[in-house]
Amino acid sequence: MSLPDGYHGRILEVDLTTGGVQVTALEPALVEDYLGGRGLATRIFYAASDPACDPLGPENVVVLATSPLLGTNAPTSCRGHMVFKSPLTGVIGSSNSGGTWALVFKSTGYDVLVIRGASAEPVMIDITPEAARILPAKHLWGLDVHETTARLLSEAAGNKRGRVLCIGPAGENLVRFAAVMNDKNRAYGRGGPGAVLGAKKLKAIRVRGNLKTTITEPERYQSGLEQARYLIKAVPTTKRLLRDMGTSGLIRLINVIDMLPARNFQDNRHSFEELENAGGEALRDTILVRPGACGVCPLACQRHTQVGPRKGEGPEYETLALLGPNCGVYDLEAVTLANYRCNELGLDTMSCGTTIACAMELFDKGIIPPAAANGLELRFGNHAILEELVERIAFREGLGDILAEGSLRLAKHFNHPELSMTVKGLEIPAYDPRASYTQALGYMTSPTGACHLRGGYAVSLAFFGGAKEIPRFSLLQSPIAIRNMQNLGLIQDSLGICRFTGYAFGTEPWSRMASGVTGRDFSTARLEEIADRIAALERLFNLEAGVTPEDDTLPARFSTEPLVVAGQQRVVSREVITRLRSDYYEARRWDRLGRPTAGLLSKLRINGRQT
Amino acid sequence: MTGSKWKVNESLIRRFQSVGRALLLCDLEDSHSGNIALRWKNPETGRDQLVITSTGSQKGDLAASDICFLPAEGTDYGYYKASSETDIHARILALEGVSASVHAHTKHLTFVTLDEGDKPGRPAPFIPVDPLGHYHLGGLVPVDRFAVPSGSREMTETVPQRLSDHRVTAIQGHGAFAKARTIEEGLFRLCIADNSGYVVQMAERVGVDVATLRAGIQAAPDAHFSYPPDEYTIADDQSCDFPEEEELVREFYKAGARIFESRLSPFHTGSLSVRGIAALLYAPKAAMPREISGPLLRTPLAADSADSPELALHKAIYELSNFQTIAHCHVPEAEALAHFVYPGESRPNDRIVPIDAEGSFFYLVIPVVPPKTEVETLVRLLHDYKVVIVRGGGVWGVGAQSLSEVLHHPSSVREICQYRVAAYERGLDLRALEPEKAGKW
Repeated sequence: MSLPDGYHGRILEVDLTTGGVQVTALEPALVEDYLGGRGLATRIFYAASDPACDPLGPENVVVLATSPLLGTNAPTSCRGHMVFKSPLTGVIGSSNSGGTWALVFKSTGYDVLVIRGASAEPVMIDITPEAARILPAKHLWGLDVHETTARLLSEAAGNKRGRVLCIGPAGENLVRFAAVMNDKNRAYGRGGPGAVLGAKKLKAIRVRGNLKTTITEPERYQSGLEQARYLIKAVPTTKRLLRDMGTSGLIRLINVIDMLPARNFQDNRHSFEELENAGGEALRDTILVRPGACGVCPLACQRHTQVGPRKGEGPEYETLALLGPNCGVYDLEAVTLANYRCNELGLDTMSCGTTIACAMELFDKGIIPPAAANGLELRFGNHAILEELVERIAFREGLGDILAEGSLRLAKHFNHPELSMTVKGLEIPAYDPRASYTQALGYMTSPTGACHLRGGYAVSLAFFGGAKEIPRFSLLQSPIAIRNMQNLGLIQDSLGICRFTGYAFGTEPWSRMASGVTGRDFSTARLEEIADRIAALERLFNLEAGVTPEDDTLPARFSTEPLVVAGQQRVVSREVITRLRSDYYEARRWDRLGRPTAGLLSKLRINGRQT
Repeated sequence: MTGSKWKVNESLIRRFQSVGRALLLCDLEDSHSGNIALRWKNPETGRDQLVITSTGSQKGDLAASDICFLPAEGTDYGYYKASSETDIHARILALEGVSASVHAHTKHLTFVTLDEGDKPGRPAPFIPVDPLGHYHLGGLVPVDRFAVPSGSREMTETVPQRLSDHRVTAIQGHGAFAKARTIEEGLFRLCIADNSGYVVQMAERVGVDVATLRAGIQAAPDAHFSYPPDEYTIADDQSCDFPEEEELVREFYKAGARIFESRLSPFHTGSLSVRGIAALLYAPKAAMPREISGPLLRTPLAADSADSPELALHKAIYELSNFQTIAHCHVPEAEALAHFVYPGESRPNDRIVPIDAEGSFFYLVIPVVPPKTEVETLVRLLHDYKVVIVRGGGVWGVGAQSLSEVLHHPSSVREICQYRVAAYERGLDLRALEPEKAGKW
């Protein structure tokens, strides 16, 4: 079996303990079974990793993979995928980012980067088509993301495009929700990959390349491309909403469906006046400088903004909601400045926001005494402290040192774990699960903990799905609906494309584009099978890392504290959780303990640790 | 009519109103045409009565006073409002096993049964070329030509006679009568008959050799159709096995109403399903007017030897896929175009290529497969195309998520077919209109 077009066929393996750099061949069978991006990274990570390892130890492995579509003009095909064991959750970390870094990395002639070991001193990796080198980076240690990026680009010579992926001080200080940033403001955000690189003393990866991606069957590829482009222009969300208002335009819309969290998910009510100053419309009218886009992206959801003299990117919806209303804050500028600082210091804004919200509730209830707050008035709505808190978290100063551990460890530290709004230790995104069983189940079963993307982008079925909208409280429909959404996400992540294209279309155009690029039959049925295979492998890793069905659940708040949703009091009761979970396992063909059955593994050609 | 009578008859009158409204929505009637009749046991007297719509009433907006209650044993000409065709209905209702009789101006059936033969004479019977017509109408509909084709004595003699052997009979240039067990079944049969007429009309409009097709069907009917549709049932139309799934029940009724109102499948035909883990939620009469629902069933997802071929195919598709929703509709335009042969070619096309902008982007091509296609092949095509036309077997569409999603497929197919028919009739070169890339798919 030969390697199809769309791949360079090379894996770059770097051992930071030994300083070794080697290139190995990408086996054709791997891409046939796992495609690229998330699939390929998961497969290589699974084979190389020890599920029992310390995520911040040298034995943790980081795999970063691209896809066959990267390097083409397929809409949004710029995304890279990083897999690691998460220091925040102890389960698989699986993070995806836009920007252009992954595109340029692929143009250096590699499909995958594998990072093992840990360096004693700060280092960086410099990759070009000619060479891959580990270089000293002591001079970069302590610099923020923007400074690091600027320094490395200015040092880069030659005519190749240069891009930088790096960590900020948060990663260096092993903040458990530190992000890996690229293009300054784009993040491999969730699960703490920045801390993993920080523990390896890997400050940055600079790439410069110019190699092209070839397309085997241009006409087949083009047919999918034209369909994709048409549908993107036809659907209001992809045609207009994201470009006009960025994802922050969702604030009001998510509020309309009663999903926008307030004060650490204690409520979902917001006044019109509050949101008027805190949504996409306000952003557009006050601080927006211009929209921007990741590589080959027609959606242009990036917000380049300015607050006073300070310029930056964001906030996006999750950031705006979780550092905003979920902290009781409705001050757009305060959230924006906190967002800027998160980007500069290399923090996941989502976990950061929900961890701060948790701290605020602990403070509000008198559990964190004022003395422990180091002089900060941690009450809900105190927008003035946001940026300061971000700073203290990144540098682990005072109470920030405990917040840097994430909300679950924070809440446990103060003996109130029930106030942590997390699943498997990952902070819940800004869609209240009481407003949709599908969303709830997505959080419960996301392999990485509560993630709206890895768990299935369920909100797009609740309000923006167009023809795909489903009932929000259907016990019968939710398990399969979320499995199918997760599978679509697995395919998107494995093709290096953006979740937002899902507003316009599903798998079919991608099937044609992937088949056109590779010359292989990546039919939608085959893509579905690949998705099932990746999901099973992620689950295997998590089971080996100690996950049990009890981890596939929601915080008690969502079962015991009702909210008004569409005029009715709603919770996700324990009975509903049990039923949804068990039906989801069946939908996945996992057993009642959430283990992929032997029959399924055999069908998917997964041999556990021998894979 | 007195208040007490209204109370006694309220549910009956509502049924008449619903069927009348559905007849209008199906375009089987003009504003005032047709009549609906029922043999009914009056609960107050215990005696059978003939209940019939009044002459000249608007069937789409029947009032209580438009429903006439007559003695069952004979027409009551003294009742000034009863239909002028009451005596025909009375004789139909006297046939064994018949409790209802419906007459409508089934235009499409009537169009395609026009001929230039001598009057009075007897035209050739109408032979359906679609599976619904073939199986539900027993393979043919008698056609009669009358000198006075409305309420005449000869009609009164002949129409009930025809219906003693057939479910529907047609009157050239006028419409059709159906015998039935319920007025809903009467509506069903007339819808099937008119739909069959429409399929033939569509086929003729795109140059299909209907005579040859009919000959083939008559020679080997089973080879031309996938399988017999479910027998029409008259009980439990209001039943719902999953009332706790309130939102989903609403989705079923909404999708069903759309299928009916948009004429994606004739009244109470087609099927819809949503798959659960071990259960299947199933609407076996997918085309449901808002006022005349069909049953909503919960059935095990596992195959059962007692399953009808229709239900079995839903289950088989799910067994081989991750789909969550399925719609099967008998889109008449698709039934006709499945037999289309490009000028200069000899075999029916194996795909329908959209020539309209939206259709061509949503669906590069729509596969057309033979009636006995294996389920594995059907599922493979559904994975890649989301919708497949089975020649002699309807349109199958699948969705990953919702009923609304899957409803879109037959709806688009209908429009795509309409564009092609219109282009063909205008003498345009369909091949030239088709996107070049579609030839490769």
